[in-house]
Amino acid sequence: MTLIQQVHWELEMDYIGHPYCVSGNAILHALGQRLSHDVHCHLNASHGVFVPGQFGRFSDEHSQTGVRPYLGSSLPDVEAYDDLFLMRQASHSWLLDSRPRDALNTHDIRLQSGHPAIAHETITGKPEGRRKQQQTTKWYVTAYLHADRDGVLPLDEDILMGIQFGGKRNYGYGSMRLKDTQVVDVASLDYSQLEDGEAFILELVTPFVLESEYPNAHEQDVPWWWDADRSGLRKREEKLLGRGNVYRLQTVDHGQVVAYLGDRPVETAKSGIFRVGTHSKYGFGELRVKPVAPRP
Amino acid sequence: MSEAMLAAFRHDAHKFAGESHDNAPETFCGVSVNRTVPMGADSDAGALSRPQQRQTQTVPTHHDHSRLSLLTGEPVANVEQAPRETIRELLAVGSVSTAHERWLASDVAALFNESVYHPYTSLKYHTLLVAALLDNYRDGHDFADCRLVVDPGGVVVPCRTVFEGSRFALRIDADDHDCPSARLGSRPWQSWASVWNRLPAHPLKTDRETFDMVLDANLRRIGAWSTALQYIEDFEGWDATPSEPWE
Repeated sequence: MTLIQQVHWELEMDYIGHPYCVSGNAILHALGQRLSHDVHCHLNASHGVFVPGQFGRFSDEHSQTGVRPYLGSSLPDVEAYDDLFLMRQASHSWLLDSRPRDALNTHDIRLQSGHPAIAHETITGKPEGRRKQQQTTKWYVTAYLHADRDGVLPLDEDILMGIQFGGKRNYGYGSMRLKDTQVVDVASLDYSQLEDGEAFILELVTPFVLESEYPNAHEQDVPWWWDADRSGLRKREEKLLGRGNVYRLQTVDHGQVVAYLGDRPVETAKSGIFRVGTHSKYGFGELRVKPVAPRP
Repeated sequence: MSEAMLAAFRHDAHKFAGESHDNAPETFCGVSVNRTVPMGADSDAGALSRPQQRQTQTVPTHHDHSRLSLLTGEPVANVEQAPRETIRELLAVGSVSTAHERWLASDVAALFNESVYHPYTSLKYHTLLVAALLDNYRDGHDFADCRLVVDPGGVVVPCRTVFEGSRFALRIDADDHDCPSARLGSRPWQSWASVWNRLPAHPLKTDRETFDMVLDANLRRIGAWSTALQYIEDFEGWDATPSEPWE
């Protein structure tokens, strides 16, 4: 049960929905229509991060080096822990400075019946009369699945292909095709960057749930191993759709960083991949552990 | 003493005329322009929005100082038609606080980019960042002391406010006066998303307001400071009818 299955979908149509990510709940819901209950109930899904299908350069922390064409449009090999997070942060630091990285990494917004829809492609360099010089960048959603029972993963490609997320699906919005998938054994990764570290920070890759209206979900404080209390952290309300209802969640907003107070960084890193806290099955509570220079 | 601050507001006057810095005139309408900004504030502000290594054309089809909009992907205007009188009012003013107010409210400065190599950047917000950093440096603060501070709407701190919108303002300052703030870090780089992500509170209604969520989601994807600040301004002025949140 140390396997994860990474999945990379390509947007074929504009997407109307949560603009930060495709939630793990939405991914599980979409897969649920194609799987037996016995398989589906053991499945967990991360949030899906939007990735521009662009050229990129691996930074020093990754096991690969150099520039790759269309780095964002497929799943690079994963050998070390940090490789898992190459595309998990919306700022996508691997994008090349020699290209208009901010224009390529922000969503074009198109209004559809008053709703902002995220465009499935970005077109740059399009002054009148220069159509041949324009460049189209496709968008992808990258996520990963894990199971709490052996024998569930990997899911077959025909289950993952041709899937839809978000609103107005009857009109074709949110259609995605499977671009790439691969299985990674989290237990076999190289964690030496953490084993050699002296001090660490935690990056909140997805929101951590403090309170949930979902039945029997208990209020949770931030973990003791975070050097922060909830009053000093930015909160953001989220929603969870289930059983025909909308449940409101209070979360610690993703993107924030806290110092790590624990003394088992590798174990924390592994549990952060499988996520911590309430509704971790649906993508919440994903953490990344990073070594930093010790405080003086 | 105000000469140094005025130099900050006038240091890129040549970009309004499409001239390179090397060929830039020394005066404009009788005032001294295009002078080097003291204390490295210009290069630090530049590093917040552009890579500092060898400059390359990032959009091969675009070669002038008209800014490309992140909202539309198109040039915001033909800058050759920018009103010269309005530009004169930005550059030839003798009061530092008036210059700051005019730049904060300027539409014409937002038509220009800060570098032809990086056409999505904004000359307006680059200049305001130069002024804010210089004002902090002149008070003895280092770059590493500076913070991004979120002020309520209507609060403008002379020279230090770098964005003023209808709902909130943003300031670069060493003292946050108990407003939400985050450190800029030890050195300048294209760190907008990183700093925005570390703010302990965001000035947007991201719990329920669909368009605020979209704005926030894109702000977390932008590196260049002048591009991000300009995007907030453009998004506020975008003619989109707010809709109900998704269910």
